Amino acid sequence: MPKSQFIDPKVIRKAGKITFGTIPVNQYNKKLADERNHFADGDLIRIYRDMVIIREFETMLNDIKIRNEYHGIGYNHPGPAHLSIGQEAAAVGMAYHLSVDDLIFGSHRSHGEILAKGLSAITKLEDGDLMSIMKGYFDGRILSIVEKERNGNVKDLAVRFLLYGTLAEIFARENGFNKGLGGSMHAFFTPFGVYPNNAIVGGSGDIAVGAALYKKVNNKPGIVVCNIGDASMACGPVWEGISFAAMDQYTELWDEAYRGGLPIIFNVINNQYGMGGQTCGETMGYGIAARIGAGVNEDMMHAERVDGYNPLAVIDAFKRKKKLLLEKKGPVLIDTLTYRFSGHSPSDASSYRSKEELEAWQDVDSIVTFGEDLVKEGITKKDELENIRSVTVDLIRKILSLAIDDSISPRIDLEKYPDAIGGMMFSNGSVDRFDDREPEVLMPLSENPRVKSIKSRERFYLDKNGKPASKAKVFQLRDGIFEAIIDRFYKDPTLVAYGEENRDWGGAFAVYRGLTESLPYHRLFNTPIAEGAIAGTAIGYGMAGGRVIAEIMYCDFLGRCGDEVFNQLPKWQSMSGNLIKMPVVIRVSVGSKYGAQHSQDWSSLVAHIPGIKVVFPTTPYDAKGLMNSALQGTDPVIFFESQRIYDVGEQFHEGGVPEGYYEIPLGEPDIKREGTDITILTIGSTLYTAIQAAEKLQSVYNMSAEIIDARTLVPFNYDPVLESVRKTGRIILASDACSRGSYLRDMASNITELAFDDLDAPPVVVGSRNWITPAYEMEQYFFPQPDWIIDAIHERIVPLKGHQAKTDWSVTGQMNRSQAGV
Amino acid sequence: MAVPVIMPRQGQSVETCIITQWIKKKGETVKKGDILFSYETDKASFDAESEADGILLEIFRQEGDEVPVLTSVAAIGNKGENVDALQPEAALHETVRPETEKTTPAETSNDVRSKTTGVYEQKRGAAKASADVPLQKAEAGDRQSDGTDTRIRISPRARAMASELGVESYAIRGTGPNGRIIVRDIESAPKETKASPKQLVYKEPAEIKDYTVAPGTGYEDKKLTNVRRLIARAMHESISMSAQLTHHMSADVRHLLALRDKVKAEMAQGSTINITLNDMVCFATIKALQKFPEVNSHFLGESIRTFRKVHLGIAVDTPRGLMVPVVQNASDLSLQGLSGRLAGVADQCRKGNINPELLASTAASFTVSNLGNYGVELFTPIINLPQVAILGVNTITYRPADLGKGVFGFIPVMGLSLTYDHRAIDGGPATLFLKEIKDQIEAFNEKI
Repeated sequence: MPKSQFIDPKVIRKAGKITFGTIPVNQYNKKLADERNHFADGDLIRIYRDMVIIREFETMLNDIKIRNEYHGIGYNHPGPAHLSIGQEAAAVGMAYHLSVDDLIFGSHRSHGEILAKGLSAITKLEDGDLMSIMKGYFDGRILSIVEKERNGNVKDLAVRFLLYGTLAEIFARENGFNKGLGGSMHAFFTPFGVYPNNAIVGGSGDIAVGAALYKKVNNKPGIVVCNIGDASMACGPVWEGISFAAMDQYTELWDEAYRGGLPIIFNVINNQYGMGGQTCGETMGYGIAARIGAGVNEDMMHAERVDGYNPLAVIDAFKRKKKLLLEKKGPVLIDTLTYRFSGHSPSDASSYRSKEELEAWQDVDSIVTFGEDLVKEGITKKDELENIRSVTVDLIRKILSLAIDDSISPRIDLEKYPDAIGGMMFSNGSVDRFDDREPEVLMPLSENPRVKSIKSRERFYLDKNGKPASKAKVFQLRDGIFEAIIDRFYKDPTLVAYGEENRDWGGAFAVYRGLTESLPYHRLFNTPIAEGAIAGTAIGYGMAGGRVIAEIMYCDFLGRCGDEVFNQLPKWQSMSGNLIKMPVVIRVSVGSKYGAQHSQDWSSLVAHIPGIKVVFPTTPYDAKGLMNSALQGTDPVIFFESQRIYDVGEQFHEGGVPEGYYEIPLGEPDIKREGTDITILTIGSTLYTAIQAAEKLQSVYNMSAEIIDARTLVPFNYDPVLESVRKTGRIILASDACSRGSYLRDMASNITELAFDDLDAPPVVVGSRNWITPAYEMEQYFFPQPDWIIDAIHERIVPLKGHQAKTDWSVTGQMNRSQAGV
Repeated sequence: MAVPVIMPRQGQSVETCIITQWIKKKGETVKKGDILFSYETDKASFDAESEADGILLEIFRQEGDEVPVLTSVAAIGNKGENVDALQPEAALHETVRPETEKTTPAETSNDVRSKTTGVYEQKRGAAKASADVPLQKAEAGDRQSDGTDTRIRISPRARAMASELGVESYAIRGTGPNGRIIVRDIESAPKETKASPKQLVYKEPAEIKDYTVAPGTGYEDKKLTNVRRLIARAMHESISMSAQLTHHMSADVRHLLALRDKVKAEMAQGSTINITLNDMVCFATIKALQKFPEVNSHFLGESIRTFRKVHLGIAVDTPRGLMVPVVQNASDLSLQGLSGRLAGVADQCRKGNINPELLASTAASFTVSNLGNYGVELFTPIINLPQVAILGVNTITYRPADLGKGVFGFIPVMGLSLTYDHRAIDGGPATLFLKEIKDQIEAFNEKI
């Protein structure tokens, strides 16, 4: 909503029409002879060799999966193997011109791309650099295996390194590139520019865009290639990723130095099937996938279909498209036509395609035809090609025997180190900044208008006269978040923040008010309404090495980025064998007043997924300290905020919210009010409900309540809670989440186990009803109220003299509601 | 209208009773006040009288059954009346589960209200017994116990606290949800239920040897009665948990025998006052106890509780087994008063209508066990924990003695065997105390 862009009715109401340019389809028509000026003979032979290596690698896996044997070596691999036999020219052609700085992201069927990009990087890297990469990786552990029988130069050694590291990864061996924690569908090797492939179809569609954003924002060399399948063009994350990559603002609004399109190629490796669904003619309507580019932007994404059965055609296309990206004309869409001979997986009976079709493609097998061309052109001889193939078979046999030998390639010893994987779920780092350059800001921090306005606010809820300060004068929870964030913007040049209405508007709830004044566009911007891309690009941005805050305007919209939050964000640190860091904070605002789709506390859903830290502060002091910790860390954090309490002042921390920097470690609950008779553990804004309940308990029933604010759901230190229960013997847990499946239930269960002998009654959970959230006027019947807490104490924990419960806490009531599913 | 016969509750702590004998048979006509059946608690035996006139229509509980108190055991009414509704709920399920509440119709008594252990149980029960058993709505079952719940619900914290303070939790009424005993109930428990410290908590022997294999068939297996079980437990507990040993001494009872002769002579004259040798020994012992208060005490592990007054336990042999009723505040009594009270409690024991509270070992501060009547010359009585000593009284034998002035003759002496807990008392004071009893006996000069 920049004011600089005037939406003039006179202009836009004019009659007109959209005209499309042309999208080239298989226009490459050069012969090998035509290209000999551009390629040395050795390069052409190497193209052939790379295709053969990929073919043989995949054939070996196919044999292992189907026959449990490859050239006399037996092995059983129960895990996945989505093979790309037949697609080699597409992979090698894609990788040929990519430099080590260029990053590729992949799909579930990406062994070929990993090897092609790796082989390309090996060719381009100096021997010294190669050696230092291999020596540095896991302290040279992988290198030490392949180095033993070294009988060639460094590049040959590196090829063995690449093949062994990849295969060991596929076989879940600790010597794999990701310690065996990624596997076939998640193998990658970042030193060669190979970023994660992804087991979720289209999963890379927005993550790769985030990596491209990182390149652009941080002026890093290189482009990003998002290798996805033709069927993934139907997936939300891909569309959202494309939309995010094609935003006008890159060319219209970003500062001169950052102006221009994202350096990303969406490379549709179009093998014409999504598992068994035929994308052309059955499951999609685009006919030719490149057509999609026409609808995205005026550049039509420079879309083009290339013949992926001719490696030279693909190489040509990538050379041209990479040039476009370096001219800041991205994004680009390439539709690389190919075909897989192998099934979707070894269990594929190919019932969806005819034998004739398969044979017709095998007749134009790119390896065979390219080999014939090489011989015809006199570049090499037939027996030399034969030699390449037999050397490759020997190489793959050798690598296989190394990778399946338990003494050479053991798996992580979970008997001996039962917590080995647990130890890799988080990186638990503490990093001030992810780059040393000066952060790009528009003014000194002290001149920021909001910083100036906050200065005069009361940092405790009472003013100097001991009276509650007015909302306009008090330092609010949103100010606490703001202070932490703007502080980090001035410290870490890689930090970017984005989401819906983040710039100009200042965020829907004014947390970012004032940030726009301090930050150039490339550090704070508005996104399309595409929560999948908001979260997904943040993942790619973090993975590539930058720090990012993505905002989900309402918690209810988390469903829109379900795959990103549940499958991607939490997994990549551990699936990488702890090599990747994920300094991503996703701010999620929990609503109220707006009914069933704008008022849900879903912190429990997120806390269920291993690999994310989950924070929910409720006071300005905690919000600032916890946000500082989240932004200092290297782990993904979902940072919940409640719209009910953005405006509260600090009521608990003596002296109010400090002006300087401080951190509150994640995982430490905080006692907000001391008491002796009952403990109330709260998550989120229910803290204030509990305070009201505690007041009444004290004044009417002479019961002294101790209130503990969880502050963080994951991780969580139970010590203070158990200590409190030792004292009080009773505990009630409350939050605004629906009570069924609430994280409080998990806590209650843990407390029961950990403090059973201290308990005078079972821990009781007070959550919201298992309904839709009704209108604001009826919310008191839905969200926990102070009286609910007192009723629950009276009915379930300790009867209070003279108390009459208004709400139903009967056993029958609970059972009947459960039986009814509410 | 048929009415249920309810198993009475004898004392706060009683949860179940065992029917020992049905005096009346099914179909017999009974009158109000007739003895219907005998039953016993873990401490005493009782007879149950009929509270109605009519025909004993049905007997729900048989001899030997362990029955929760305040549940129905039989039905009395007019001939031909249906008594299904008076069945205890558990009988419908065919299995006796002591923790399951029994149901009786609400209208039969204000005190006995139908109730179930929980709503879930109730629902199942309702489904099975539907029309036959009128069940109360959930509200009553949900929350407050009405005191008839036989399952002890106690929070883990309260349980630990009860153990710590030595509170017998089964004697406490829970005020928590659903009648649960919670911490505040333990804190406010009456003092007497806090008597036994946890050091004295009895533990079953870790291993009971398997004696079930015996030669031939020439024997009969009889299940232990409750009283037997209690005695077994208490005796084993005493032997295994204390450090007891016995000192023996003899007292010249010429004076006592003369007094006894005088009592007999007066009774021949028509006096009803029958002061026995045992009464006199007990009286002498009470006097000695007042001089040695450390013997008149309970050993509580971490502390010793010394009583200001003597609450004298007296071992009584009954057909049901050994019982030890207490005469409270015995030190306040005259010899005649003591004699009457001792005879009274012994009689109640033999009849089986002693107040069970008077049988608790914690109720007495010292015990006397007299086997003299049976000709026992020497024995080692076992202490009733947490008391610290017990006096065994033996038969009278004759012993040569210096009668003075160089004359020797035989005098009657009574053997006294004092078992004491060495944890509480050392040998010196114990001996001095025994000597004091001897002296009190020899110098006995109470008016008869």
